[in-house]
Amino acid sequence: MRALRFTANRIASTLLVLLVVVFITYVVFYLVPSDPAQLACGRPCTEQNLALAREFMGLDDPWWRQFLDYLGGVVTGRTFGVGATSIHCAAPCFGYSFQQNTDVAVLIAERLPVTFSLAVGAAVLWLVAGVGAGVLAALRRGTAWDRITLAGSVAGVSAPVYLVGLLGILVLGFTLDVVPVGGYVPFTESPVDWAWHLVLPWLVLAFAHAAVYLRLTRAQMLEVLGEDYIRTARANGLRESSVIGRHALRNVLLPVVTVFGIDLGSLLGGAVITERVFSLPGLGGLLIDAVNQRDLPLLLGCTLFAAFLVVLANAVVDLCYGALDPRARLT
Amino acid sequence: MVSRQVRKLVAVAAAATLLAACNANDPGNTGASSAAEAAQGGTLRILSEGQTVNYDPAKSSSLPITSLGFVHRRLTGWVNAEGEQAAVAPDLGDTGKASDGGKTWTFTLKEGLKFGDGSPIRSHDVKWGVERTFAPAFSGGLGYHKQLLVGGGDYRGPFEGERLASIETPDDRTIVFRLTRPYGDWPWITSTPAFAPVPEGKGAEPDYGEHPVASGPYQLAEYQRGVRARLVRNPHWDRASDQIRGGLPDEVQFQLGQEASVVSQRLVADSGEDRQAFGSSFASPAQLAQLQGNASAKQRLVTSKTGALAYLALNTEKLTDPKVRQAFQYAVDKTSYQIASAGAAQLAGDTATTLITQGIAGREQFDLYPAQPAGEPEKAKRLLAEAGFPDGLKDLDFVVPKSNDYPAKAQALQAALAKAGIAVNIRVLDTDAYTAETSQAANPTYDLTLSSWQPDFPSANANIQPLFASSEIGGGGYNLSRYRNPEVDALIEAAQSEVDPVAANRRWVELDKKILADSPVVPLIYTRNSFLRGSEVANFYIADFPAYPNYLQAGIAK
Repeated sequence: MRALRFTANRIASTLLVLLVVVFITYVVFYLVPSDPAQLACGRPCTEQNLALAREFMGLDDPWWRQFLDYLGGVVTGRTFGVGATSIHCAAPCFGYSFQQNTDVAVLIAERLPVTFSLAVGAAVLWLVAGVGAGVLAALRRGTAWDRITLAGSVAGVSAPVYLVGLLGILVLGFTLDVVPVGGYVPFTESPVDWAWHLVLPWLVLAFAHAAVYLRLTRAQMLEVLGEDYIRTARANGLRESSVIGRHALRNVLLPVVTVFGIDLGSLLGGAVITERVFSLPGLGGLLIDAVNQRDLPLLLGCTLFAAFLVVLANAVVDLCYGALDPRARLT
Repeated sequence: MVSRQVRKLVAVAAAATLLAACNANDPGNTGASSAAEAAQGGTLRILSEGQTVNYDPAKSSSLPITSLGFVHRRLTGWVNAEGEQAAVAPDLGDTGKASDGGKTWTFTLKEGLKFGDGSPIRSHDVKWGVERTFAPAFSGGLGYHKQLLVGGGDYRGPFEGERLASIETPDDRTIVFRLTRPYGDWPWITSTPAFAPVPEGKGAEPDYGEHPVASGPYQLAEYQRGVRARLVRNPHWDRASDQIRGGLPDEVQFQLGQEASVVSQRLVADSGEDRQAFGSSFASPAQLAQLQGNASAKQRLVTSKTGALAYLALNTEKLTDPKVRQAFQYAVDKTSYQIASAGAAQLAGDTATTLITQGIAGREQFDLYPAQPAGEPEKAKRLLAEAGFPDGLKDLDFVVPKSNDYPAKAQALQAALAKAGIAVNIRVLDTDAYTAETSQAANPTYDLTLSSWQPDFPSANANIQPLFASSEIGGGGYNLSRYRNPEVDALIEAAQSEVDPVAANRRWVELDKKILADSPVVPLIYTRNSFLRGSEVANFYIADFPAYPNYLQAGIAK
């Protein structure tokens, strides 16, 4: 019963957060001095043409009415214009990009596999490398390994992904010619080429993120290793691997999982720079295009989707807490 | 070797970061077009930063010599070559015959033209294509024709059952346009994308551009947003009927969503398929600087001789005294502007003294305000004193957008203006806010702003009318100096009405001088553009107008 109430509360608060995000994003994007109708009006733009464009795009209503129409579209879909040229955006309609002539939801769905491939692959790498190196650094505190990994992590944290990506392309792509310099091959087309095209973006993204996880894991591990229950476990004669693996690491992972959830959620919303550098047609590229072309419905859709992923990631993190720490479990 | 390349890359990366938001005319470098002879066949690759490519003519503002021209022919077109002025040329039809003093234009289509699906291209299809641009669902392209066609003002397209009576199609090969007033440049207007044919009754769907019915040498075989557009041969295109398109490659591929500095690096490396590729974006100043040390890449850099007019607009509603505005002609330092634009005068483009840009037929070179390129502040001070401002001007609002290095360019001018006793405060705005302030606000507060303009078609009309007709003030128009002169408006209309090109050119040159005598803008430079190509791309050139390569003539070297 308690679990049910918790789940219901969680869904309600998630919806509320998303509603607030929609409202703020809508107000920000639609009250800034950019007129989507002006952009769709062509050149030269006469008053008549502008009025027609506004009417067609549903921008001739007050902003609050447009906002309600937008929310209504999510539930029931929307139709722009009338007659043979009318455009129907099926429910759930998260907006329609008049510049790309497609539902925002369709555009996001088209790009999601690319961003998902990039984010998940990189996340596995950085989690394994970052946490693993962090644990080792903590266990071998003060050794050469500890110092080298810490120095490497400073580089990872400080170097912009843009620069690391370009250097990676230059060295591994152009000079050594061992990886492609960009592009994406769908997994369904060729799993090998899929991985081949993503290996460098994965490494670059993982390099930047692993540094954070290394430092976080090392600091947490050092703290946990000093706890009384670890001393007790050792005093009881438990093997070191059991002390570290079963008792210490589980507690170390709690903050790591929190950060990981948010990182992965954000990344799934679009790894803007990495996707751009490696010419990957993911959500990041979509977002950049929306900004460059001032495609407000698309910007709104991408922002909402990113917010949804972060909220979802937080919910998943809450569930993981239960698995890692029985005290956090709902009974 | 690696360290040298790393240094170069770091330089490019740093510069590219600074220039990430640039989308307007970046100046270029001097270079040569590809002299190699192009052969029939092969695949031409175009590396584009954009995520999309638009093949819906109604929504396009594409030049007749770039991407849209691969798939769609138009009623008329342009021929341009190095060292020659662009000329209107027959495409689907002839170049038109005027009657009724220029209010009626009749075109005859060539015989035997076919769409990609094998159906004949008739005058009705051109009419349908034009009518389709009036539908609110298909706005967004060049619309110069909309106010000129009788009944165009209220027309909402053919999909609501109504046809536009001012476009007549007495037979399959004849099309007649009835205009609201005489218009000598109508054959140029019919070279805009709106005059591409769409099979009558088709094109109601919003994504028509993703499966258009081709009339040009290629048809769209594959389109993936953000990834690629692949064009293959249209078997029904007749080379003999088309003097505008070479149609040389067997296939044209657009690689979309490419990162600018990676594109540059790929073209510099010039390996594999990239030898048959060119970049569709201007080379940035940082890339140009990098290329200076690479003889092979420098050879493959193609630069326009001239380009868009960069100018300082003076808000005539705030700076009402022509004498005050004339002082700015002497106060500006065009050399500093060149350096701020591209690091060197040669890279930026020649200093400008006229409104009609180089490469436009009938242009006359003159200078109403002869001065040193670095400016003559004393002359400016004298004019200001005569106008009643012996102590100069204080606190002028100089608004510029964040993009395209405009803040740095404004700073270069600020220093020069200060020497003439003109103190300006630079206000940098986001692109949207800048557009709202300069093009849409009813009573903007700015005194000065920077902009550039390249005409949509090679006529002095397209240089002058959009920037100086009072109808273009606010409402998204480009009359940024808010110049309102009934006499000039009347002269613009008279020049537009002139059917004889020689007489029309004379009128435009007179207008150029008359407007500059009022000094609503200070011409700064004719901005150069540079593009990098792979070593096997042949017949790749930039003519005197426009400052873009002619995609339609390019091919793969023999």
